[in-house]
Amino acid sequence: MFLEQLTLKNYRNYEQGCWQFQNKVNVILGENAQGKTNIMESIYVLSMAKSHRTTNDKDLIRWDKDYAKIEGKVGKKNGPIFLQLTVSKKGKKAKLNYIEQAKLSSYVGHMNVVMFAPEDLNLVKGSPQIRRRFIDMEIGQVSPVYMHELGQYQKVLQQRNQYLKLLQSKKQTDEKFLDVLTEQLVELAVKITLKRYEFIELLQTWAKPIHAEISRGHEQLAIHYCPSVDVLDKQQWSRIVEVYNDKFTQIKTKEIERGTTLIGPHRDDLSFTINGKDVQTFGSQGQQRTTALSLKLAEIDLIFSEIGEYPILLLDDVLSELDDFRQTHLLNAIQGKVQTFVTTTSIDGIEHRVVRDADVYEVVSGQMMRR
Amino acid sequence: MYYPEPISKLIDSFMKLPGIGPKTAVRLAFFVLNMKEDVVLDFAKALVNAKRNLTYCSSCGHITDKDPCYICQDDKRDRSIICVVQDPKDVIAMEKMKEYNGLYHVLHGAISPMEGIGPEDIKIAELFRRLQDETVQEVILATNPNIEGEATAMYISRLLKPTGVKITRIAHGLPVGGDLEYADEVTLSKALEGRREL
Repeated sequence: MFLEQLTLKNYRNYEQGCWQFQNKVNVILGENAQGKTNIMESIYVLSMAKSHRTTNDKDLIRWDKDYAKIEGKVGKKNGPIFLQLTVSKKGKKAKLNYIEQAKLSSYVGHMNVVMFAPEDLNLVKGSPQIRRRFIDMEIGQVSPVYMHELGQYQKVLQQRNQYLKLLQSKKQTDEKFLDVLTEQLVELAVKITLKRYEFIELLQTWAKPIHAEISRGHEQLAIHYCPSVDVLDKQQWSRIVEVYNDKFTQIKTKEIERGTTLIGPHRDDLSFTINGKDVQTFGSQGQQRTTALSLKLAEIDLIFSEIGEYPILLLDDVLSELDDFRQTHLLNAIQGKVQTFVTTTSIDGIEHRVVRDADVYEVVSGQMMRR
Repeated sequence: MYYPEPISKLIDSFMKLPGIGPKTAVRLAFFVLNMKEDVVLDFAKALVNAKRNLTYCSSCGHITDKDPCYICQDDKRDRSIICVVQDPKDVIAMEKMKEYNGLYHVLHGAISPMEGIGPEDIKIAELFRRLQDETVQEVILATNPNIEGEATAMYISRLLKPTGVKITRIAHGLPVGGDLEYADEVTLSKALEGRREL
């Protein structure tokens, strides 16, 4: 799929603007603080109905204005679709093909984007929460049932934590109800754990060859799922319910003492190794960056295999951070199949054919022009 | 204050009702002013009577003006089966169906630690007491199919297991007369989980 047309109104530092794009690499050129990332963000928001940079939607509205509007025409296999998102101080309104959608969940998912921004380095070296969010967002893009299960899990978890607090403070002594909550929690935890496990296996099969190629065959990337219970081998996966139950029985007194749930998908993590060494601890900046890049590129292939179309790739300020070889590889990987938006301060020194053939747009203080 | 005291008091009273905000309350209050006096009196009486004369059935917990309630008194009903629901409104819903001929037990809520409702805050002990009587052979758990209702059903079933009474849970899945294609993914996956052999 590709973005054919983008219209912005009162969006951050853009008062008004409308651009047509081709299904190829689009380079967005400009000095610092002119609004390059804002364009990338607006495309991301159009797709996901939320920003990757801020959780406060009001930040998206231009200074002193009441609302911001993003419109897009997306070319897909079966013809174009029209998306429109209006952010006002009261909330968001999403229209798909000019029809307002009551639920954002029925809007999200029609246009798929993969974003790679400097913040994504945190995927490797940041807190486990960032990695869990990454897995959840990715599985959520292709499985609505997963999102529902995750929501249910959060609810049971809250109930259980509250009940554990009551038991801890002796305001409640009935442990039978705790067992009921544990049973409910385990049922959902197992579903989530298995889906995450499957997804990570799949992601790994795509990411491994990509990483090997970017590193010229020197580096073997492996992604490990680290669930909060120890699951050592394949056999144990088939009896994951028992594994959870055993563990919960073991730690019951400890949980009551602490007044909180100590294991479950909310404590899961991912780890990455290159040639058997942990990237988070031993990897160089460059290796961490390449790992994040491999994951993102794997995501592109993964989405293609799930929905049959390539997503739109947004590369925010990453070209300059990669060495020549990695740049070349990245550009080769996207060549001719993925519509890509790249922001950079300068294209001098990038000799790749993809960039020479690309459409170049220049951004100067809230205006973007085709060069 | 913009309103004379009698009407502002009436507005405040209407606002205590669920789903009624300031604007609706004003509209209702002014409407009452234009109603005939005897109609208003009847209305006021109905309010007071409903509160004064209705109690909860000492046996099943359903709302009633006579104790025990009309369902518990009915000799034609099957006394070996009890349907456990969360709310008196659920009894009405079941009764409208006209297919169920057993008794009920109203829990008046579902267990939810987040809302400060523990197992002892709903009428589970009362249910237990009713089961001491040998006539009951089946308990149907018809709490809502959400997290809290499900937990409550599981909790009751665990408590009742030792008594040897048959315990069943109502099914959930696709609505009758619906189209498969219109069902959402979550309902569909639930329906698939609960499939049965023909």
